[in-house]
Amino acid sequence: MSMTRRKALVSAALASVAFGALSAGAGLAEDKVTLTYLASQGWVYDAEQQLGKKFEEQTGIAIDYQIVPADQYFNLLRTKLNSGEAPDIFGGQSGVTDLKLQYNVEKNAVDLSGEPWASKLDPLVAAQSTVNGKLYGMTYWDTVGNSWVINYNKKIFADNGIAVPTDFKGLKAACETLLAKGIQPMLEPIADGWHHVLWFAELGPRYEEATPGLADQLNANKATFAGNATMLTALTELKDLYDSGCWGKTALADTFADRTKVMASGQVAMVVAASGFGAELKNDYPDINPADYGVFLMPLADNQVLNLNPAGPTMFISSASPHVAEAKKYFEFLTEPDNMKFFVDNVPNATGLPFAGVAKKLPPEIEQFMANPKRGTVYQTAVNYVNPQWMDIGKDLTAMFTGAMKPEDVLASIDKRRAELAKAAKDPAWQ
Amino acid sequence: MFLRHYPIYFLVPAVVLYFVFFILPSLLGIGYSFTDWSTYSDQVNFVGLDNFVHIFSPGENYLAYIGNTLIFTVVTIALKTVIGLGLAVLLSEGVRRFSHLYRLAIYLPAVLPTLVVALIFRSILHPATGVLNRLLRAIGLDALALQWLTDPHIALFSVIGVDTWKGVGYITVILLAGLQTIPRDYYEAAEIDGAGFWARLRFVTIPMLMPALVVVTVLNVLYGLRVFDIVYAMTNGGPGYATEVISTEIFKAFSQGQYGLGTALSTIMFAVLLVAGYFVIRLLERTSSQE
Repeated sequence: MSMTRRKALVSAALASVAFGALSAGAGLAEDKVTLTYLASQGWVYDAEQQLGKKFEEQTGIAIDYQIVPADQYFNLLRTKLNSGEAPDIFGGQSGVTDLKLQYNVEKNAVDLSGEPWASKLDPLVAAQSTVNGKLYGMTYWDTVGNSWVINYNKKIFADNGIAVPTDFKGLKAACETLLAKGIQPMLEPIADGWHHVLWFAELGPRYEEATPGLADQLNANKATFAGNATMLTALTELKDLYDSGCWGKTALADTFADRTKVMASGQVAMVVAASGFGAELKNDYPDINPADYGVFLMPLADNQVLNLNPAGPTMFISSASPHVAEAKKYFEFLTEPDNMKFFVDNVPNATGLPFAGVAKKLPPEIEQFMANPKRGTVYQTAVNYVNPQWMDIGKDLTAMFTGAMKPEDVLASIDKRRAELAKAAKDPAWQ
Repeated sequence: MFLRHYPIYFLVPAVVLYFVFFILPSLLGIGYSFTDWSTYSDQVNFVGLDNFVHIFSPGENYLAYIGNTLIFTVVTIALKTVIGLGLAVLLSEGVRRFSHLYRLAIYLPAVLPTLVVALIFRSILHPATGVLNRLLRAIGLDALALQWLTDPHIALFSVIGVDTWKGVGYITVILLAGLQTIPRDYYEAAEIDGAGFWARLRFVTIPMLMPALVVVTVLNVLYGLRVFDIVYAMTNGGPGYATEVISTEIFKAFSQGQYGLGTALSTIMFAVLLVAGYFVIRLLERTSSQE
């Protein structure tokens, strides 16, 4: 090969490499944006993912939904936040103490106060995502219109002559009747780690009824969970339900994802689920008539007060995200009236969204039930430092079911973690 | 002799890298274990032995978690070594046909990601719908259809069983390599002297295999004490706290932003690994000097 020819070849090769690099650069510049969205299992409905696709068609911005099993979610999220590897959008439970302690939103999330949808968000709901006057999260979740209640199969109850329980004795009697007939009374999915905690924390209004002002006293560190007779009764009765087989033999391995399948089978009579559960059943099993399912309050400690919660799964934009503007655009898109209507229409158990102008969809029976004048806020929202330890309470309760802890140990354990969290947060009431 | 040909500063790059990436972080970690470093405050204060006092205080369960870690380590070492040795002997002497296929089949679980293994076994071990319990019930062994991952008395051993299934192939391969270095003459001589299978195993195979067994034990000790992924993915420390190990607690402490506590737990694990490593190396030296 002559020298000239070799030079020509080398020049051509260099030129092609340079051109390749340039074209690759051009290609990178044209790459579309993909927003990563980390959420716990059950927080992102199909309807939202469909809206995500529509958003991608309209804007070219794709959403990569990263769904994590519920029992591992918070540890994973906090590890990502603490190590500076947060996704563009992350899901979390709203509640001021959670925002400060779990997610440290003032450092890790973007201030959304000026967004066009912020003024339409229900003030009660917005307050749960606000720290020092700044709104950090968007609660795209049916919070105030929906409560966690016991949904029951009316036919099974009628066939076995069971009246709707209004106290613990009634619930226990229903369980015993059904067990005697070989029917599993209730599905309680303990494996998820969070669901069985509802039995304790959602009973906040009952604790408040028994001891007026208790939430304020707990927040001022002038009262403790340990020694509270109503809470002790609730936990003792909860263990009784587990021990008596009311939740079946595999409760520790059962998961909430199976709720509609199990309830539609007609082999289980009850489940703790949202008050809009009937519609969810109908969606998964079209032959089912939602009117065949009724609701009643969790009657531990003879509770008859409706539990309301303005907090719920909420979306935050990571302050470390290089795509804050695109993420804001996604939030704006979700809150357009047509898209919110699409969401409510297509999420089976949703009865509405906490934004002004969104129509409610509630069957008359549930609407009447939700009109209960005796009502109060659940303790994971009313009492500080309860929600951040939700999964820990779940572990304590599981240990209580399996005999490793006693009900009084669980209450003492909650106090201990509250004190640790309060001290870490430099809460003046604990100094 | 070899060193004399090279100046000592040739060591510098390797030593600097080792110091910066291994020694320094370890020392810093130990240092931070004496502080209240957390995500909730920008200040890091020296708190002496507070974190260690907290870990070993009677109100905490950390001793139980350290106990679970030790049980996991000891039982997996015993199971993996015994089963691995049995399979290695079988593959080396007993199996004549398709031995390569069997080696592949035994090694295969080792290459599967832990998360995949854990998800598969969570499904297999489900008390109601799992394949294992269905099979047991189908053949009339209902009493053996247990709550594998949800009974606090059994869950840790179920995890140990799955980890052994996954890890035994790796151990088998190492032991098989060791077996193939033992000259056949020893076995022939032992047979002429009238030694049966067990006598050959005890007086020829195991002594000659000792270096490989020590390597296997070292690997298993280090793995067992640091176990995390299989426990996290299968039970997440549950039911309740029944299967928590040191690493799941370290992960929890870090995820909750309690870095001081997390590093204190890591320091304890470091100390345990150091002591275990020291004894294993002593054993290794003794074995070498005996040869």
